[in-house]
Amino acid sequence: MHDTINHSLDIDQSINLEEKTCPNREQRAGFAIKAYYGNASQLVKDAKEGHLEHKDRAFEQSGGCILNFFTTVRISTIQDGVMIVHAPVGCSALATGYRETFRAVPVELGRPQNVDFHWLTTNLSQKDVIFGGKDKLRKAILEAEKRHSPKSIFILTSCVSGIIGDDIEGVVSSVQPEVKAKIVPIHCEGHRSRVIQTAYDAMWHGILRYLVKKPEKKQEDLVNLPSMLSYTWADRNYMIKLLGKMGLRANFIPEFSTTEQLETMSEAAVTAPLCPTFSDYLARGLEQDYGVPYFTYPSPMGFAHTDEWLRKIAGYTGKEEIVEKVISEERKLWEPEINILKEKFIKLKPDGSKPTVLGAIGQGRLLTQNPFFHEMGLALPATFCLDFDGLAIKDFEKMIEEVGDFKVLVNTFQGAEQAHIGRNVNPDFYLTCPMKGGSYKRNKSITRIHALRGDPTQWSAQIGYAGSVAFANFMLQSINNKAFPKTLHDKTADIYKDWWYKQPNPLHYLEEAQ
Amino acid sequence: MSIEQTQITQESCNDTESVIEAPRYSCSLGGAYACVLETTGAIPVFHSGGGCGFAQWWALSLGAGEIGSGRTGGANALCSSLLEEHVVFGGEKKLRSLIKSGIELMNGDLFVVIPGCIPAIVGDDVASVVSEFKEQVPIIHTNTSGFVGNSYDGYEAYLIAVIEQLLPKIAPEKQNDLVNIFGIAPRQHVFWGGDLQEIKRTFEKVGIKANILFGELEGLENLKKIPYATHNIVLSPWLGIKAAEKLKELYGTEYTVFPFVPVGPKETTRFLYQVGEKIGISKETLKSVTETEEKKAYRLFEFLGDILILGMPSAYYAVVADSNAAIGITRYLTNEVGYLPELVIITDTPPDESRKTIIKELTENIESDIKPEVIFEVDSHKIRNLLKNRKFMFLLASSMERFLAAEEFHAIHLSVSYPTWDRLLLARSYMGYRGGTALIEDMVSKYAGPM
Repeated sequence: MHDTINHSLDIDQSINLEEKTCPNREQRAGFAIKAYYGNASQLVKDAKEGHLEHKDRAFEQSGGCILNFFTTVRISTIQDGVMIVHAPVGCSALATGYRETFRAVPVELGRPQNVDFHWLTTNLSQKDVIFGGKDKLRKAILEAEKRHSPKSIFILTSCVSGIIGDDIEGVVSSVQPEVKAKIVPIHCEGHRSRVIQTAYDAMWHGILRYLVKKPEKKQEDLVNLPSMLSYTWADRNYMIKLLGKMGLRANFIPEFSTTEQLETMSEAAVTAPLCPTFSDYLARGLEQDYGVPYFTYPSPMGFAHTDEWLRKIAGYTGKEEIVEKVISEERKLWEPEINILKEKFIKLKPDGSKPTVLGAIGQGRLLTQNPFFHEMGLALPATFCLDFDGLAIKDFEKMIEEVGDFKVLVNTFQGAEQAHIGRNVNPDFYLTCPMKGGSYKRNKSITRIHALRGDPTQWSAQIGYAGSVAFANFMLQSINNKAFPKTLHDKTADIYKDWWYKQPNPLHYLEEAQ
Repeated sequence: MSIEQTQITQESCNDTESVIEAPRYSCSLGGAYACVLETTGAIPVFHSGGGCGFAQWWALSLGAGEIGSGRTGGANALCSSLLEEHVVFGGEKKLRSLIKSGIELMNGDLFVVIPGCIPAIVGDDVASVVSEFKEQVPIIHTNTSGFVGNSYDGYEAYLIAVIEQLLPKIAPEKQNDLVNIFGIAPRQHVFWGGDLQEIKRTFEKVGIKANILFGELEGLENLKKIPYATHNIVLSPWLGIKAAEKLKELYGTEYTVFPFVPVGPKETTRFLYQVGEKIGISKETLKSVTETEEKKAYRLFEFLGDILILGMPSAYYAVVADSNAAIGITRYLTNEVGYLPELVIITDTPPDESRKTIIKELTENIESDIKPEVIFEVDSHKIRNLLKNRKFMFLLASSMERFLAAEEFHAIHLSVSYPTWDRLLLARSYMGYRGGTALIEDMVSKYAGPM
């Protein structure tokens, strides 16, 4: 175990596209854990000294898998692609919103008029489990081609297709000559990895291996922006505007991109992070095979980090002069507003202490969001982190240097643990989401961590200068009325027994390392 | 057009053989999970990969009328989160520690283990692990791997698990006025919550007590009341019949199939007479209650006249829904509102033997000279094509058709079936005396304005 972990600090970062899929995040990052409670500085120290080992939980809650951590709802938004989920019918059931996604975005805000997504399930049955699902997969590919003449067909695998041993690559190579669309298998078998971030790597592996083309020309003004569903349409438009002022173009992938946008990522000048853990595999792959440089820190939330993010992009694109002009213009526009809001945060507590906030979710969002909270003058008693791996160590160190130490609860959507820490840390600002169990019930405020991709309102934005102002306003708004969490707290029962909250350890059910 | 001339397409829709675009249901694990969530006090325990609960929460909570995760859904559902190592060595040990800790930590009246695909393939003996805890708490397990059926099968699997594992083998003394309600699958039939409550209220008026299994404060208690019912009512042409058959076999309880959820006064009165006569409610009571209720309902009905006649009279319409919702809505709009049913697409998976009933209910004894074309289809792309080049001005369907309705079909759309991502449906119902006008309220709200 130690050998692997020591190795992790100097990870073999090469991406091997000869393989049909990526290594699991646990292997690629040296280690990846989904249970930890302690100081961030200790977490980093433990990581560097090789003390982080995976531990199982005796009590566990449904926290997602490689396929079902939104891989379907992500891939199904590729505009001229068709998604095939090679699985029993339930594995894609969360994707039935596909015809409505992004439809709240008005056409005048940049949504194409005729967006038309498509996906199929191979609907694996008992018979397929016994005899194999290859014929159905083949049928689905041909059906996708016939129905929609797509540019790309993505195949998402599942526990069942993996366990019964369907030879996906065999099907792909035999069918590819019959279809014009480029077929892209993505190995997201739910049971393959305990860390849901493997989903990101598996997706990018498929895209890098099958779709990304050798650059025909270099597009010096093109910036790859791998974007999650947790960044809104307003964020997107604002980044387009910011980069546009510098004479640059944003290439948002994979959400709502075209096949061509994915194919030509190799021609971009740089890959910049919005969520570094999401984009890591892609960024490394594009650099290794096509020389597209990348950086992982910082992401553009908060003023200081937006400055730095823009400057880094400018450095890769020869925009060093104009970036200063853009930064000063934007700051001139937004600084007076953010200063008023900072003042409001400072004056919030009658005793003059810093208001506390409990937020963040994935390790990428943690790296993005905590510096913003710090900039707003908020204290960080604790932060959620879905999982933690060797890839994040260096950026964590930088962030801790900036914002100071705080407690980290590493857990992947474990409702009981999140309810526990929420109750015991009892922050002034609690940023939560529907995957956090009982945490809506409290006597203080709650609000959401982030809005979702189809939200076009400036009110929901979080990115850049404008987004920071919106987010700060949004948070302040949440403490003006606590009636909803309070009513829930007072009028509805708790699902966990009292002893749970009275004992001190949110990781009470963690088993000793195996 | 006579019935003989009616175009009836009865495609062979063997859904497990097909690849399907966006089917309007989940897997059997999902269907059972929805039942557990709506049995108050029951704790779902997934014995599956880690993403099953995550996916089904999204699919059968938010996708079923934007319902929240509540007390036991979302990140609160227990899960053994099986991995490669469990595929090799089995997951029984993991399940055992999960149940043990779950009992310690959760305030639950009933634990329901919902196995997914992995334990079914690797052959975990779920029953045996579950039996180790039978002394400690009420606990059952469903027969639901994801590849053995859809959410409707999951609903039936849950009922069968309850009957076989929770209820006594010997019939207790029946309670004369008590009936169980079957055939309305929680979450999958998107108006399940309101419909069940409305059935209960409607029955109360004639002195029948409906034992509602989902969405009531009494979760386990109502499940345990199942054997005491004097009669079982199935409100679907097919769903729930398995459970009713099983109860007949076990307790000798007779059942009545009323193959749809009645919308509006006409069908509700017919429903009350049919059930009331079966369980011995007097003709006088039935007559007096139905007459009073009808008078109240038609008083309201009279007031929708102007907007209906000025706004959208004699409109062609199409329905895309599960069978019991589709029939109820179609019969109301056709027989009371005077609308013209052009097309009905049935999106659940009724077995072949029930399809004749569905077609009969949709095309016989209806007021309209226009008889609807009835199609059984689960593939959303094919459904979209079937809806093209029609006359309908209203499309009552899932929210998947919401934007297509305006752009491709130039029709007014209302979500009435799964999935419904564009409405919050907690207790909305079109069932019963008040349900018809409630439906019209929602339909008219889509187009009304000053004239």
